[in-house]
Amino acid sequence: MKEKDVTFSRREFLTKTGFASVALLSVGALGSVIPSGKGSVASWIAPRGAEAVEVKDVNEELKKTFGNRKIEMSHVTMKAPIIAENGGVVPININSDLPMEPGNYVKKIYLYVDKNFEPYVGSVDLTPANGKAAFALRIKMRKTSQVRAILETNKGKLYAAVKTVKVTIGGCGG
Amino acid sequence: MPKGVGKIKIRLPKTVNKGQVIAVKALITHPMETGFRKNKKTKKKIPAYYINDVSVYYGNELITHSDWTIAVSTNPFMTFYLKADKTAPLKIVWKDIKGGVYEKTVQITPQ
Repeated sequence: MKEKDVTFSRREFLTKTGFASVALLSVGALGSVIPSGKGSVASWIAPRGAEAVEVKDVNEELKKTFGNRKIEMSHVTMKAPIIAENGGVVPININSDLPMEPGNYVKKIYLYVDKNFEPYVGSVDLTPANGKAAFALRIKMRKTSQVRAILETNKGKLYAAVKTVKVTIGGCGG
Repeated sequence: MPKGVGKIKIRLPKTVNKGQVIAVKALITHPMETGFRKNKKTKKKIPAYYINDVSVYYGNELITHSDWTIAVSTNPFMTFYLKADKTAPLKIVWKDIKGGVYEKTVQITPQ
């Protein structure tokens, strides 16, 4: 009995030192994750210690371009893959039944990917000489996101189509 | 012009009827670097290098103009439509941010 009081049993020793080391580790980990007061939140969620890449919000971008104008979800169809294995090449096909006559035509098509660093992908200016309000382009997608196509007519009306594309490997690098 | 940049392929339908709306498919080889990618050996960032301006002329008229960013895929491939109502050349011009200009002209002859 006397001996047992002095020495730990094997099980006791393991549990006690184990807990101690876990506690030490977690303190260390927390210390490295939480910035010591100075750094802003943005500085420690930046990818791989590189300078922070600004992720722009798609709603702000849309507001900048279109203001508070009403966007109708009609007259536009978008063909896009449901799952894109390679985010570097995602074919997007935009089609519309809007007329393309002189005086009444689709002036511009805008394309946005919500979760890209820069949601604005591109735009195309059309004229009645195109004969059809349609355009197709292969784009890059960083991760699973909504893709938006917005059409603007020469009279200032806006029509849109939205589709979600699932991306398994992102295509923007970094 | 860097090697392997600016090779252009334009595809038109075999026969074109007058007044028909045809699809024109155009492909250009271009790296379309985003500026986010790193060289794996040197760990340095590869600078952005992409096409930002595309213009399509039918005869002397600018019929389509497109504004691109880094989010357009490598070797950009686009499809646009054209109402073939006259015999005229169709010229497509791509411009990149380092001043490269690549263009190709095809003849449209409706029957």
